[in-house]
Amino acid sequence: MNAAELILMCAQIWGVVGFVVALAFLSVGIDRIDEDARGAYFFRPLLIPGILVIWPLVLWRWYKYESGTDAWPARYAPPRKSHFAVGLILPAGIAVIIVAGLAVRQTWPSDFAPVQIEKPMVDTQ
Amino acid sequence: MSKPEKPFFVGYLPVQQALRRWLLVVCALFVVGLTGIGMVMGTAQDDPGPGAFRFDYGRQTVSGVVELTPYPLVRVTVGNDRIKPGTTLMLVGQGKSNVDARAVPLEGQLAKVSGIVLQRGELNMLQLRGGANGLAAEEGEAPPQDSIPLGRWKLAGEICDGKCLAGAMRPGRGLAHKACANLCLIGGVPPVFVSSQPVDGSEFFLVTGPDGTALPKSAYDAIGQFVSIEGEVERRGDMLVLSIDPDSVEVLD
Repeated sequence: MNAAELILMCAQIWGVVGFVVALAFLSVGIDRIDEDARGAYFFRPLLIPGILVIWPLVLWRWYKYESGTDAWPARYAPPRKSHFAVGLILPAGIAVIIVAGLAVRQTWPSDFAPVQIEKPMVDTQ
Repeated sequence: MSKPEKPFFVGYLPVQQALRRWLLVVCALFVVGLTGIGMVMGTAQDDPGPGAFRFDYGRQTVSGVVELTPYPLVRVTVGNDRIKPGTTLMLVGQGKSNVDARAVPLEGQLAKVSGIVLQRGELNMLQLRGGANGLAAEEGEAPPQDSIPLGRWKLAGEICDGKCLAGAMRPGRGLAHKACANLCLIGGVPPVFVSSQPVDGSEFFLVTGPDGTALPKSAYDAIGQFVSIEGEVERRGDMLVLSIDPDSVEVLD
């Protein structure tokens, strides 16, 4: 298995697990943790694409609500504290990625002339 | 003792005096900086080339002999205004799919093919319509098709997926296109090698593995990068086929 097939297989596994989590959460979990969602069904399929991507976070939040250990104000404090640093790191990271990409860029081998190593075995004349 | 008030920006209120100079500098840097970055990145891009879906041709239908390299080809015997007899068409399905299931039973037989042409210079591909509308056996005996061996060559260039290179994507090659090219090849789209300089008048080669096998998966990691490569070259109609030696693939500096 090459790198491309490995990445593709990992993405497929992630998506399949995400779909199972989506079915469980949207059919059972959402009613248990969000009283506003009870009796509302048509919006639920719209959540499937998002759950496919962030299903570990969905499971984690579901567990926190179910176990009663969620402290909602604390969820917002860490992002606020790190806004300034993230605001600097993000553009700097993008710049580093662009510069690194340009640095490792190959040069098209336009000077390389094809070399015939062996003549054809069969005489076509 | 009260603290001096810190100026605070509110978008829908008049800008405070203390913030005006700062905002002007930021705006100027923003416009100049983004313009500069855009120009640098734009000029650093390679020309995507002339490949394109030829929707302007409309749906094309021709007849020819089906060959497997193992990637399916049609050697056109009865053409039309756009596709002349003697043209070799690579065949591909919709999206990143192949047409092997339809082409394999017709190997060596006369068939009618129909679809949309993708064209990049002398590289021709046909994206087939679905089912028998795209590929169907035709009455008559298939005329023999010649294959001219051109010997063993060492080449430099890039292995691409044939569909994106021929015009399905712009750009359809290069490192930025590597993931897409890999997905296309996993889907069975014919791979094409672009040579630094032409051999026998062509810079494009349909790539296969040795002895009529598909491109070895060991070569997938080198797709989208500039490599040197060795293999046997043969001419089939107006297309060159390169059967590579997988151990010879080397990524260039």
